[in-house]
Amino acid sequence: MSNSSFYADAPILHVNLNDKSIRREQIPRDLFEKYLGGRGLGVKLIYDNLAPGTDALSPDNLLIFAVGPSTATRVPTGGRFVVVTKSPTTGTIFDSHAGGYFGAQLRRAGFAAIVFHGKSDSPVYLWINNDDVEIRDASNIWGKDVYEATDALLEETDPKAQVACIGPAGENLGLMAAIMTDKHRAAGRGGVGAVMGSKHLKAVVAKGTGEVGSHDPERLNNAVEWSRRLIKKNAVTNNSLPIYGTPVLVSVANELGMLPTNNFQEGTFNDAEGVSGEKLLERFSAGTYNCHGCPIGCGRISQIDGKKMGGPEYESLWALGPQCGINDLEWITIANDRCNHLGLDTISTGSTIGAAMELVEKGKLDAPLKFGETEGVLEIIEDMAHMRGLGAEMSEGSKRLAERYGAPELAMQVKGLELPAYDPRGAQGHALGYATSNRGGCHLRSYLIGPEVLGSPVLVDRDRSDGKADLVMLYQDISAAMDCMVVCRFTNFAWPIDVYAEMISAGTGIELSGRDLLKVGERIYNLERLFNIREGITGKDDTLPPRFFKPLPEGNSRNRVVHLDEMLKEYYKLRGWDKDGKPTKDTLKKLDLPVS
Amino acid sequence: MDLTVEKLVKMIDHTLLKPEGTKVKVKQLCDEAITYDFVAICINSTHIEYAVELLKDTDVQVCVVVGFPLGASLSSVKAFETEESVKRGAHEIDMVMNVGALRDENFDLVQKDIEAVVAASGDAHVKVILETGLLTDDQKRKACLICKDAGADFVKTSTGFGPMGATPHDVRLMRETVGPKMGVKAAGGIRNFKDAWRVIEAGADRLGTSAGVAIVEDFRWAQYSDSWMAPDRPCWTCPSRMANMAKQPKEVYKWYKERCLTCPDKEHNVFND
Repeated sequence: MSNSSFYADAPILHVNLNDKSIRREQIPRDLFEKYLGGRGLGVKLIYDNLAPGTDALSPDNLLIFAVGPSTATRVPTGGRFVVVTKSPTTGTIFDSHAGGYFGAQLRRAGFAAIVFHGKSDSPVYLWINNDDVEIRDASNIWGKDVYEATDALLEETDPKAQVACIGPAGENLGLMAAIMTDKHRAAGRGGVGAVMGSKHLKAVVAKGTGEVGSHDPERLNNAVEWSRRLIKKNAVTNNSLPIYGTPVLVSVANELGMLPTNNFQEGTFNDAEGVSGEKLLERFSAGTYNCHGCPIGCGRISQIDGKKMGGPEYESLWALGPQCGINDLEWITIANDRCNHLGLDTISTGSTIGAAMELVEKGKLDAPLKFGETEGVLEIIEDMAHMRGLGAEMSEGSKRLAERYGAPELAMQVKGLELPAYDPRGAQGHALGYATSNRGGCHLRSYLIGPEVLGSPVLVDRDRSDGKADLVMLYQDISAAMDCMVVCRFTNFAWPIDVYAEMISAGTGIELSGRDLLKVGERIYNLERLFNIREGITGKDDTLPPRFFKPLPEGNSRNRVVHLDEMLKEYYKLRGWDKDGKPTKDTLKKLDLPVS
Repeated sequence: MDLTVEKLVKMIDHTLLKPEGTKVKVKQLCDEAITYDFVAICINSTHIEYAVELLKDTDVQVCVVVGFPLGASLSSVKAFETEESVKRGAHEIDMVMNVGALRDENFDLVQKDIEAVVAASGDAHVKVILETGLLTDDQKRKACLICKDAGADFVKTSTGFGPMGATPHDVRLMRETVGPKMGVKAAGGIRNFKDAWRVIEAGADRLGTSAGVAIVEDFRWAQYSDSWMAPDRPCWTCPSRMANMAKQPKEVYKWYKERCLTCPDKEHNVFND
């Protein structure tokens, strides 16, 4: 083990794949205090060290795996990791998160983060065995799918280790390539797997047996007990998610007319019951999956014809199902499993297939794809991972595909990232969150589905646009802050801000109030914004596809459109940004960020 | 409203009235009441002695329900249940009014029923549950006046087992009827801090809820945004919206629904919100 049981003392591992050199660097104290770790640490390192205009798939891009001060401590859900890089899909800075067990192993091996530089001339993987770090040849593993590669790497290293790897999609630089861990948990979005593939890095394998310390163990224990009690008292974290997993949302979204169907042309799926969480439980459930240190256990294990497979989770089930008009739950589960094997982001994969189906429907594309039909779709998925034929075009995502065929308005994306499983016309705040997300079409930067749909912590009127800028900013900032701890977003159903602040204070010795923690999140959000502006992404990109400014024809979100302009003005004002969405000098000074 | 966590916890009766409630759940209820310093726990009488033992040497009061949840038992049985409960350590009694008698306009029976419990309660406070979802507004007003005359300390909206829970409309009506000195307890369907805030603003000074922990914890969110407290659509909290023909007497159900026709906010009455 390294000599670093405290996160602040844990080194950042710099791995240069050009010359195969490895060095350790201490986290600068100032950086730790202002950015804490995880996403904040990664964003700061990328902002400071990546030259503007760097091609995301060039050797010059940096690929960072980071954990946080809560990782592998007693903090519930503290076993996750975050990947931060410049996305080849969006051109923005990008943080992509995964559960499983890898994060805890990396932290217990003694590290705070790994920064990959350069590009190896042949396929390699990184083997971290506590303090011993080694770049190993991966020639015999390159070409294997995620499951085969994971098994081979565990056999070659240690069966108790944990693997984060890419599949064929990442090797072939597909823009929806994920980094997979424990076979079916994904740092899915933004093409982070393609960045890994561009470096000829097949995998990172970590095994750690060290202890992870905290500044005030007794105080942290009290905070942990508090947090566990809240998880047990919350209906979402104690009932809905453990019993049905995230697919519980199928029925909820459909009832509100917000379940995007046939590429967001409708908000109600006639066969929603057949693809619901309840039906998944009845037909295919073979157990649940808990990530490291998680008392919730939202993960699904399904079984079809005697074969067990991970998932599907709500977003995956929607993308490969209602988004494509497909109602065959067995097929959806199998297609999801194929995406996991190939290392594909299921949201972008399914959403792009849905866009292709609409291109065909509108006569823009000639291909054997049709809403509601599964025939040929599994083959398309394989082609997307292996860059073959139409699959190669689709592997670039819906934005590039729809532009290529002369109908950019049919891509349901923001900043090049496919939108997830909630029609924004049904929830104004969530719509604003999509538009202003620093990483493009994402539901997790500000999950206003909590208050607008699920009533957590309280139900707010999903149709009102006033007051939503305030809530979006609040959720974006607390989400960024919890991503520094690198804990699961679902804790947010049960924990108020003060719980996170107490855990950070007890764990690190940096005394933070809830408001201090929000300021950390605000700092990160603004630094990401500065990065994106530096890359030429502006307020004009804070928008939504034109479809969302026309009403849905039927269902319980009918006759609604997104009132983006009025919310955006209010949002920029609250953020302290100018009319073009650029942080003002006063805002940057207030947040102790560089004023250029 | 000048509401703090400290004030809020002193309004909450932390409640467990489910028939399947076990000793483990009662223990959890009491532990939480001590941790959060709730004013009382509210339980079925079968758990009194266990709860009293768990809460000895604390300020948490033990409140026990009587004639629960129907209110249709004999007055002598309610009185006996009250006397036994107080003897075993109950500090507060939440009795269910004889709702059928009130609807029969047998007001004398209703009053005597309450008086019997008040007489048997000793020093314990008596709250009378009206089960507002079974009554029209005129019947609620009449019930409040009877409770006051009978010497009860509180009027309370609902059992949580009836057709609807506490609504700001009912709490406001009850407060206006009983005046400022008598207690008004809102109970049933209070699941988050905004539900709590609404009924407190309407005049409740006690809340019965099984979500006390979530209400207090989530109340911490309130300090971070004013948007939580933005006004809701009027129909969201209106008892007419919650009316249910399967659970209410036909004429009561019709009375609730007919209010919608003349409601000044009726343009908000859409069912896809």
